[in-house]
Amino acid sequence: MTARDAGIYSIGAVAKMLGVSVQTLRAWEDRYKQVVPSRSPGGHRLYSRDDIEQLRFILERTEAGLQAADAHRLLAEQGHARADPGAGGSRSGQPGADPERFAVLVAERDPFAAEFADYFLRTEGYAVHVVLDVAEAEQTLDSSTPQVVVIDLMISGGAGLGLCRAVRARGAIPVLAVSPVDCRDAAVDAGADAFLPKPVEPLQFVSAVRDLLGTSGYLRSDGASR
Amino acid sequence: MTDRLGSGSERLDAVLGGGLPLHGITLVMGRPGTGKTILAQQYLFHNATADHPALYLSTVSEPLEKILRYGQSLDYFDPAALGSRVLYEDLGQRLNADGLPGVLTRITELLKQRRPGLMVIDSFTALPAYAPDAGAYRRFLHDLAGRLSALPITSFWVGEYDGAQVSSAPEFAVADAIVALSTDRRSERETRALQIFKLRGSGFLSGRHAYRLSQRGLEVFPRLADPVQFDGPARTPERMSSGVPALDAMLSDGYWRGASTLVAGPSGVGKTLLALHFAFAGAARRETSLITTFQENPTQLERIVNGFGWSLRDPAIELMYRTPVDMYLDEWVYEVLDRIERTGAKRLIIDSLGDLKAAAADEQRFREYLYSLLQRCARANISTIMTQEVAGLFGVTRLSEHGISHLSDNVVLLQFLRGDSELKRAMTVLKTRGSAHRQEIRRYDITAEGILPCDTFASDQDLT
Repeated sequence: MTARDAGIYSIGAVAKMLGVSVQTLRAWEDRYKQVVPSRSPGGHRLYSRDDIEQLRFILERTEAGLQAADAHRLLAEQGHARADPGAGGSRSGQPGADPERFAVLVAERDPFAAEFADYFLRTEGYAVHVVLDVAEAEQTLDSSTPQVVVIDLMISGGAGLGLCRAVRARGAIPVLAVSPVDCRDAAVDAGADAFLPKPVEPLQFVSAVRDLLGTSGYLRSDGASR
Repeated sequence: MTDRLGSGSERLDAVLGGGLPLHGITLVMGRPGTGKTILAQQYLFHNATADHPALYLSTVSEPLEKILRYGQSLDYFDPAALGSRVLYEDLGQRLNADGLPGVLTRITELLKQRRPGLMVIDSFTALPAYAPDAGAYRRFLHDLAGRLSALPITSFWVGEYDGAQVSSAPEFAVADAIVALSTDRRSERETRALQIFKLRGSGFLSGRHAYRLSQRGLEVFPRLADPVQFDGPARTPERMSSGVPALDAMLSDGYWRGASTLVAGPSGVGKTLLALHFAFAGAARRETSLITTFQENPTQLERIVNGFGWSLRDPAIELMYRTPVDMYLDEWVYEVLDRIERTGAKRLIIDSLGDLKAAAADEQRFREYLYSLLQRCARANISTIMTQEVAGLFGVTRLSEHGISHLSDNVVLLQFLRGDSELKRAMTVLKTRGSAHRQEIRRYDITAEGILPCDTFASDQDLT
C-alpha cells in the first residue's frame, strides 16, 4: 500500500479540513458513490489523500456554481487520476501558511522515532516539542496549547488512547495517532482525527500534520472561512 | 503476516513465503564469493524509487570502486539509477577516523536527509573490530536497530558470518530474517545452496535451495518437496493408448491418463522406442509431448525417429536435450515444469532416469525432485514415461531404479531372452495401479514400424 492510497483521516477531520459538514460528505458518498473512503475494521470511514483530493475537486466545481451531481459526474469522466498530488513542493509555499505559528506536541514512546519526528517537522518549519511519557505530555498541555498533538498510542505502556481522550476533552486540538499496532478504530473512538501506522513514512507524516493544521494545499486560505 | 518486500524473482519470493519482511532487518551471511552482495544489490535495484531511494554503504572489506565495477556487468544493474534511485557511499574512512559512533552519526544523517526505503551495510562483519569491547558493540547494534526500526526502511546487513555465529553473534538476535548462502564442493561439482534460518512474521520453505550466480544475478531453484500423494484428485477415467496395441491389451486397454510409467530394461532392448511410441501416438491426436533426453542429441534422435516414420519437427513434439555433464537437477526440473506450462504438454518422456540421477548431488535429492515432479504431473493429469536401464543383458533380477517403481503407476519390463540360436525380446507388465493387467510375457520385435509384438513364447522358452 502506498502512502497516498491509505485511509488515514477521520470523517470529522476531513469535514474540518474542507469546510463541509459530515452529513454532506456522507450524503455525497451514498448518492454518487464516487468518493468512497476505506473503512477501518470497526467500520469507521478513513479518507486517503486521494479521496480528499477528489472531494476538493468536487468542492471547487460546486463553488463555481455546478450542481453536486454534475460535479461528481465530471469527476467520474475525468477519471479519479486527476490531480497529481505531487504537490509536495507547492504546498509548502502556500500563502498564509506560517508554520512557525504552530507548535506540534509529539508524545512519542520511542526516542529514535521522536528524534526523527522532531527532525522532519522542524525541517518543514514547525516548532516542535517532544515528550516521552504521558505525565510530561499532560504537564505540557497544562502550560501551553499546541496546534496539533501527535500521540504514539503505545506511550507509557499503552496509555496513548487515554491521552487522546484527555486532549479531546481539552478542546478542539487535532490529534494524529500513530502506532505499530493497527488500532485505527480505537484511535478514532478515542477522538483521534487521523491515524498512521508505524514506522511512519516521513512525507506522509509531515503531510498529515500539515493537513490537520489546516495549512496544506488542500485547504486554501478562502476555504478556512467556508 | 507482515508486509513483504519482493525480490523481483518469483522463486526467491516463494522460498521466503512471499518476500522479506518489509521494513525489517535482513542478515545475509556467507563466505566470500557466495553472492551476498549480488543478492543485496538485486533487492536494491528492484525496489528503489526516487521517492524511496536505496543506500548502499560499504565498510572496510571491499572497496566501493570494485563493488561498482563488478556490479555493472550484471543485468539488474542500472547505471541510470546511480545517484538518484540508488546511492552508494563508502563508510570506510568514517569508520577508520571516528569508529562506530562516527558510523552511527553518518547513517543517522543519511536517514534524515535521504529518507531511504532500503539500506545495505556491506560488510557488517567488519564492524565489531571497531568496538572497544563487546558492550560497546551491543550498544551500537541497539542504537542502529533502533534508528532503523523507527523509519519505514528495509535494511540488509551483509557479512561473512559462519554457521557457529548464528547462535552467538548479537546481530542474529536483532535480525528479522537470516538468509545464508553457501557453496558445497563434491567431486569437482560445485553446488550453491541458499537457506533461510529465520524469518519473522511468516513461514518459509525450509531446507537448502540450489541457486546459481549468472549475468541475471542470483537465481534460486526452490527445493521441490511436494508431499507424496498416491490418491490425487479423481482422474478423468480415460484410457490412452501406449502406441503399441499389444501392450494396450496387456494393460487392459492402455494407460490411465495422468499415470506414470517406468519402462525398465537393458541397453538396446527398445525402452526409448516404447516411450517414443507413446509420444507419437499423442502427436497423432495433436496432443503435445515433451521429450527430455540426455543421450541422443536432436540430430541423432531425428535420424532414429525418421527410421520409424516419425519426425521431431512434428508440431506436437517438444524436445528438450541436455547433456548430463554439468547439468543441475533442480534447474532441469524447473525447466521441464516451465516447458510443460508453456507448451501445454500432456505427455512427458524422461529418457533416462540414470542420466538424470547423474546430475543430482545425492540420491535423496534425486528422489525428492523426481517424486515432486511426478506428483505435479499427476495433479495436472500429465502422463509420464520414464526409462530406466538395468544392469546385465540377460536375466533381470532387480530394478535398480532408486525406489521410483514404488511411485510409478505402471512398470513395464523389457528383456532379452536366448533360445533357438536367436536373441529375442520380451515384454512384461510388472505392475499397473488401478487396473488389472495380464500376467504374461510377450515376445516382440523391432521393425521399421516400431515395436511389433509376436506371440507368447513357446513352452520350452527359457524365461529366466
